[in-house]
Amino acid sequence: MLLSYDRLGGLRFGLWAITIAICLFLLLPVLFIAALSFGSSQWLVFPPPAWTWRWYGELFADPRWLAAAWTSLKVGALVTICSVVLGLLASFALVRGKFPGRLWLKALFLTPMVLPVVVFAVALYALFLRIGLSGTLIGFVIAHTILAFPFAVISITNALETFDKSIEDAAILCGASPWLAKWKVTLPAIRLGLFSAALFSFLISWDEVVVAIFMASPTLQTLPVRIWGALRQDLTPVIAAASTILVVLTLILMAVAGLVRKVFAK
Amino acid sequence: MVTATADIREPFRWTGMGYAVPALLLLAFFFVLPVLALLLRSITEPELGLQNYAELFATSTYARVLFNTFLVAGVVTLFSLLLGFPVAWLLAIMPQRWARIVFAVILLSMWTNLLARTYAWMVLLQRTGVINKMLMATGLVSEPLPLVNNLTGVTIGMVYIMLPFIILPLHATLRAIDPAILNAAALCGAGRWQIFRRVLVPLSAPGAAAGALMVFVMSLGYFVTPSLLGGTANMMLAGMIAQLIQSLLNWGLGGAAAFILLTVTLAIYALQLRYFSGAAGTAGGR
Repeated sequence: MLLSYDRLGGLRFGLWAITIAICLFLLLPVLFIAALSFGSSQWLVFPPPAWTWRWYGELFADPRWLAAAWTSLKVGALVTICSVVLGLLASFALVRGKFPGRLWLKALFLTPMVLPVVVFAVALYALFLRIGLSGTLIGFVIAHTILAFPFAVISITNALETFDKSIEDAAILCGASPWLAKWKVTLPAIRLGLFSAALFSFLISWDEVVVAIFMASPTLQTLPVRIWGALRQDLTPVIAAASTILVVLTLILMAVAGLVRKVFAK
Repeated sequence: MVTATADIREPFRWTGMGYAVPALLLLAFFFVLPVLALLLRSITEPELGLQNYAELFATSTYARVLFNTFLVAGVVTLFSLLLGFPVAWLLAIMPQRWARIVFAVILLSMWTNLLARTYAWMVLLQRTGVINKMLMATGLVSEPLPLVNNLTGVTIGMVYIMLPFIILPLHATLRAIDPAILNAAALCGAGRWQIFRRVLVPLSAPGAAAGALMVFVMSLGYFVTPSLLGGTANMMLAGMIAQLIQSLLNWGLGGAAAFILLTVTLAIYALQLRYFSGAAGTAGGR
């Protein structure tokens, strides 16, 4: 009866009240930032006295914000490629491989996901200072690839585990080389897994801030690092506009992902 | 999947290992090596020994940061669990079309950039912010409450971020419970409160424990939200590590603090894998 929606009785209203309150609590900040970014008040008075595009104008007029957004896009794209390629290769080893210590290898591959990011950030910062990768694009890409890699491994191994290897073997028996069989048969079959891996990898890099703070130099910053720096000075509505753009891009990607999944699943 | 043909074609003992080599090299050089080097510095700088660890626990400022970190992580876990349980419960039994909306809200907040969400709370909670204005308008308080730049602000912001991480595993556990067990308890004469306390809560305990451990361990290592909502006077462990290394260049002490965070985190994850595997963790602290 406590697990039957129709027989909850008065309790149902109590649970609904809490659920609605929590949903509002979860939605409030997201909607609030979007509203602030269009509000005319410099001091973030809410509700705003009037609506304006001014903060977006200031954002797009400032070359530092544009440079940061461009860096974020470049890093994200490179990370996506590296993480999917490495994740695909590693997944072949984990799913198809037969060697001692395979489970330990998998554990190692997933560790970047559970290790506190700040520990990884300062450790890599020390190494990069020594080998001169601090403040470089390659430095960003290496750091974010390591953080994105576990998510690529999870998505691709899941897809590869449900794929029947005998189909690939059949292609080989029919005369395809092992590489051609993988390229023409296996990869198309696990495309949904590859797509999820790419999406997660990009979003992790796009949203990542802790490692990026340590990797950044005054001349090379990602969008989250720029927001972080601005936040420590004041709470200008320009930050709300930049945040809204970050969120909107994420939402667009999620929506596209939903559509792609529907199309792929057919 | 390993088939007989694969064995005939490739009889080598290390079959398939080669594919893992690029990732292995990347992780070995840019992940394992730097983390180990950092931990080594904690016992070698400025000289060989455990004096960095002694200093962390003996200096009242650092000891206070450690205490605050565990306190906030504990309080955040407790509130997330108390607030998340009713939501997960209703989510597990509500009609599909409503559940889909609630899920969309949870996912939307999860996928909103962390900095953006924290920024929103900084504005909402400030002295002249919306929350304080509403509280004053309703006459509940006569002057603005200090909601930001203290541990209250950190706790509110963190509970907000952690709620999805407790609702989702708990929802999965609650969905898997067979309602017939509860009906059986009712037939045996148990009242609602008794069924809740002695059947529903114990049956959902594994999901709750898995979610709570995950939230606790993520909260311990969180950097962004505590740094922005707590201000400089209320540092937490991750913020302290960053400051020791980036501003004070004290690699020995920073390494020691990092090692403490690392050990506690990995120990709790090991515990979780050992006892609650199935509801695995997802993300380290940010």
